[in-house]
Amino acid sequence: MCLAIPMRITATDGAAATIEADGLVQKTSLMLVPDARVGDYVLVHAGFAIAVLESDDAAERLALFEEIAGMAAGDEPGPDTDPQADKPYDPSI
Amino acid sequence: MEVCGTHTMAISRYGLRDLLPAGMRLVSGPGCPVCVTAVGDLDVVVALARLPEVTIVTFGDLVRVPSSHSSLAAERAAGADVRVVYAPTDALELAAAEPERQFVLAGIGFETTAPTVAGALLMARERGLGNFSVLSLHKTMPGALRALLDAGESRIDGFILPGHVSVVTGSDCYRFLPGEYGVGGVVAGFTAADVLEALLLLARQQEPAIEIGYRRAVTAAGNRVAQELLARVFAPCDAVWRGLGLIPGSGLRLSEEFRDFAAEERFTVEPGEPVEPRGCRCGEVLRGLIDPPECALFGRRCTPEMPVGACMVSSEGACAAHFRYRAFDDPAGADD
Repeated sequence: MCLAIPMRITATDGAAATIEADGLVQKTSLMLVPDARVGDYVLVHAGFAIAVLESDDAAERLALFEEIAGMAAGDEPGPDTDPQADKPYDPSI
Repeated sequence: MEVCGTHTMAISRYGLRDLLPAGMRLVSGPGCPVCVTAVGDLDVVVALARLPEVTIVTFGDLVRVPSSHSSLAAERAAGADVRVVYAPTDALELAAAEPERQFVLAGIGFETTAPTVAGALLMARERGLGNFSVLSLHKTMPGALRALLDAGESRIDGFILPGHVSVVTGSDCYRFLPGEYGVGGVVAGFTAADVLEALLLLARQQEPAIEIGYRRAVTAAGNRVAQELLARVFAPCDAVWRGLGLIPGSGLRLSEEFRDFAAEERFTVEPGEPVEPRGCRCGEVLRGLIDPPECALFGRRCTPEMPVGACMVSSEGACAAHFRYRAFDDPAGADD
């Protein structure tokens, strides 16, 4: 339940922010991370950003996500293939 | 022991138990907020859902958890208004759209989620939403760890500490573990490598200590803004945990300042005496005393489709994760 997703801030309007990850665009509140700025990666949980991430780390993490998504999509079929791969599981970050 | 439902899922999903050397055993603890919610509290939510003027708003997993004699899903089928949201702020939009109804948010979750409900309450006050209230069933993690160790029955040598709870609390709140109990812990992220790294760090500890593996998000001090918001909107209270019983100071109720948003002040319900599901051993699973297949109901009367106990309902419950990824001694069904 404590899932949180790293997303990048693309615009802010007071404490409200537009955030983006892999083409998904959402709104979130920056109430809990008032120092976050456009371009920062934030960890988003239940509509609120709860932490600002080191951007190198976040970028690395997102690359890893894409790699995992590629594997789940069948780049490496085999006994490890998850039959429920079409149902997105989010290992958080 | 891991005490975070997302870790429970990751450990089962990646089959990490099968990779561990002899002598190292992973047990799941009380890390799934839905699972640790007491039957008596679920009864209150169900009783509120039965009030004709009330809409219950909650996160998805809670809907199917059996209460003493019902569930939110059963109440919804019988005509109650139960709605599922992703974020607490979504509940505000629902309340604003239908001012003639009362919207009660069933607030479950640990320190990660509680600040988002606190934030929603701040916004509700600003917007003057008089038809929004919160039944706060939030719980805090340190008290549960203490209760587990005080009970002394599960012989825990170290904790994989929750990543996103610790984003808010910081890792300093666990210093009593080595200090008072001689038990170490590592705050872990959620990939397979993160969990294995945490185990490696734990195994290498010469002296019990608290370390952070999940450094990209967690600090010793945590998110001060979120902590201040929690302290303003909530006040500690005693809370009953499924499996662990009453733990002093481990719950969060609304503070005096936000008391007018407390559902228990606004509505009076008499849910009656709670009844635990017969034969269900969720309590022992949550204390790390048994693995899910040791429960006679597991995979037989209790499955994710027809759950008896809460740990089989939530996808991050130990029983559900075990059922999905290990398929109990059935090699054909084991998908990990």
